Amino acid sequence: MSIMTYNGAAIIAMKGKDCVAIASDTRLGIQAMTVATDFQKVFKIHDYLYLGMAGLATDVQTLDALFQFKHNMFALRENRNMSPSAFLAMVSSTLYSKRFGPYFVEPVVAGLTVKPDGSVEPYVGGTDLIGCISSPDGFAVSGTMSEALYGPCESMYKPDLEPEDLFETISQCMLAGVDRDAVSGWGVVVHIITKDEVITRHLKNRMD
Amino acid sequence: MSMGTRYSFSLTTFSPSGKLLQIEYALNAVSQGATTIGIKAANGVVIATEKKMPSLLIEAESVEKVAMLNEATGVTYAGMGPDFKVLLRKGRKAAQAYYRTYLEASPTQETVRELASVMQEYTQSGGVRPFGVSLLVAGCDETGPHLFQVDPSGSYWAWKAAAIGKNYISARKFLEKRYTEDLDLEDAVHTALLTLKDGFDGEMDETNIEVGVVDVETGKFRLLSEDVIREHLGNL
Amino acid sequence: MADLSFLHATKASAALPAQEMEEASFALPAVADPAAYQSQLYDPASATPLHMAHGTTTLAFVFKHGVVVAVDSRATQGQYIGSQTVKKVIEINPYLLGTMAGGAADCMFWERELGRQCRLYELRNKERISVRAASKILGNIVYNYKGMGLSMGTMVTGCDASGFSLFYVDSDGTRLEGQRFSVGSGSTFAYGVLDSGFRWDMEPEEAYDLARRAIYHATHRDAYSGGQVNLYHVREEGWVKISADNVFDLHYGYAAEAAAEADAEAAA
Repeated sequence: MSIMTYNGAAIIAMKGKDCVAIASDTRLGIQAMTVATDFQKVFKIHDYLYLGMAGLATDVQTLDALFQFKHNMFALRENRNMSPSAFLAMVSSTLYSKRFGPYFVEPVVAGLTVKPDGSVEPYVGGTDLIGCISSPDGFAVSGTMSEALYGPCESMYKPDLEPEDLFETISQCMLAGVDRDAVSGWGVVVHIITKDEVITRHLKNRMD
Repeated sequence: MSMGTRYSFSLTTFSPSGKLLQIEYALNAVSQGATTIGIKAANGVVIATEKKMPSLLIEAESVEKVAMLNEATGVTYAGMGPDFKVLLRKGRKAAQAYYRTYLEASPTQETVRELASVMQEYTQSGGVRPFGVSLLVAGCDETGPHLFQVDPSGSYWAWKAAAIGKNYISARKFLEKRYTEDLDLEDAVHTALLTLKDGFDGEMDETNIEVGVVDVETGKFRLLSEDVIREHLGNL
Repeated sequence: MADLSFLHATKASAALPAQEMEEASFALPAVADPAAYQSQLYDPASATPLHMAHGTTTLAFVFKHGVVVAVDSRATQGQYIGSQTVKKVIEINPYLLGTMAGGAADCMFWERELGRQCRLYELRNKERISVRAASKILGNIVYNYKGMGLSMGTMVTGCDASGFSLFYVDSDGTRLEGQRFSVGSGSTFAYGVLDSGFRWDMEPEEAYDLARRAIYHATHRDAYSGGQVNLYHVREEGWVKISADNVFDLHYGYAAEAAAEADAEAAA
């Protein structure tokens, strides 16, 4: 069994119109045994940036602390927040710095880039466990059964959805995805990030 | 390296009156350096410096006093040339390290901070002396145009218009009289040349000064060619 | 007509009369050591292992009013959930039930074969076969194939002249009689509920609830168990299917029950 699937996870990030969404399951397992159903895998970096991490749970927590630290230092130094793309680049270089003894984590970010005119541009992206960046057009997925997440995303995703429609789409994709994965699910949390607010909702789903 | 094999006492030691004389001496070296001007305009920044050759026989083009730190940032100095080269190398490296980490250009202030931190380190480390230069850094980033001065102590400030080197006091007075807010970059170049010319010993032409500009529109730093400088000088 | 010639015995056992040993047999792989070849084929560490459905929770217990059998319905291939609606209780005949854990195909096939042999026994002897004898037939079959890669963990239960009985039979050749068993990856979780809640003189409804909750808790904790809970009751007159409940409904039903109880307690 791969160490990437030791704890189980499912994460999706999606772009909408002037908004982004990121969703994760909440299971923490030790292989087949479900240990907790309220495990945090998506972390707020700042008002316009959320980070999700799938993989080995201990590394997820260690990296969350490390990225919070790095972002806090950046914000103090530069008096501004990191843009989503700069943050992902920082994540990438952090991961590659452990190229030969990697963190077992595949991160996904969802955020809004503030443009000079004050408007926002949605951004989603992710890397593999040693930091290879991909910033796809519509959605990014990560987790133990990414095949089962890609399917619903490919068929249900549409560009430029309004926040509520984006919520519906990402939620259906998560629910469909985790229902085909034995080691993820047991609760789903969805964050919708807009210019004015972040909406967080917990979905009612199968607990087996 | 152990304490025994390395000379590890800082030469920059407080005098009983509380001064760091080595830093004051470094500033003396700066104030004997070439007059150097920087002006921030509404849409860009200009930095300009004298480039007087000790002999007619020197190939003037081989001397580079205004240099690019990264795409959007340029730097020049008053003081010791070789010390500047060291800082230039370190500044470029810091700017590239920033880019490599964030895949975004280093903001002007970050590059300045890195340079200042190197200069500060050289006032407190063993076996080294402070840098004999002050820098003028011109750059553009997301937050607009910036002009910074960095001193041998590691202090740095942002200026609307700055003068360092020989005659910097009279040059600053000159700038204070001429400076206006919402200056256009072309006018800023004009003012910078006028300021230089005011204290220039001998005939000032396109071969014995160097001018660099960065404009908000392109976000690119560039050196003005001799032709362009000649044209500006003709309009003075 | 399907070719079932392979079902005819080609190998006689010295221990039992040929008539009793009318069991299925298969062409063996043309290698020097078929058993070694098979075990290598299913070895997860080999380059190209054959995957079979493994995760399961099944349970059965004998009590005052008969035997209750409950199972989950999930089939997994690795971490992939292949199905949530697998029937893991095999209705061997109106008086006998078998359960499925391990290789789905192995359980399904051999318990159907067991059904065939039990029917032949009935025709020959003009009486129903005992649960003891039926489970012994299955035990003998799998023992014959020991080391060849069969994967089964099954319970055979039913009602005969001696009353209700329950046997555990697995592909290692183990055959045990007992009062309650749970088999599969979720069995430890199910045992936890079952052992703490079991009483011999439960009413049938209590027994159903206990069995259902045991499987439900196993599906909650065990990633490889889930889907629905299928529940059977073996009575003197034969087995009856009691219920099939989706775990989704059970979970939120139990949660609502617990919340209501907590409210009542707080009010009191």
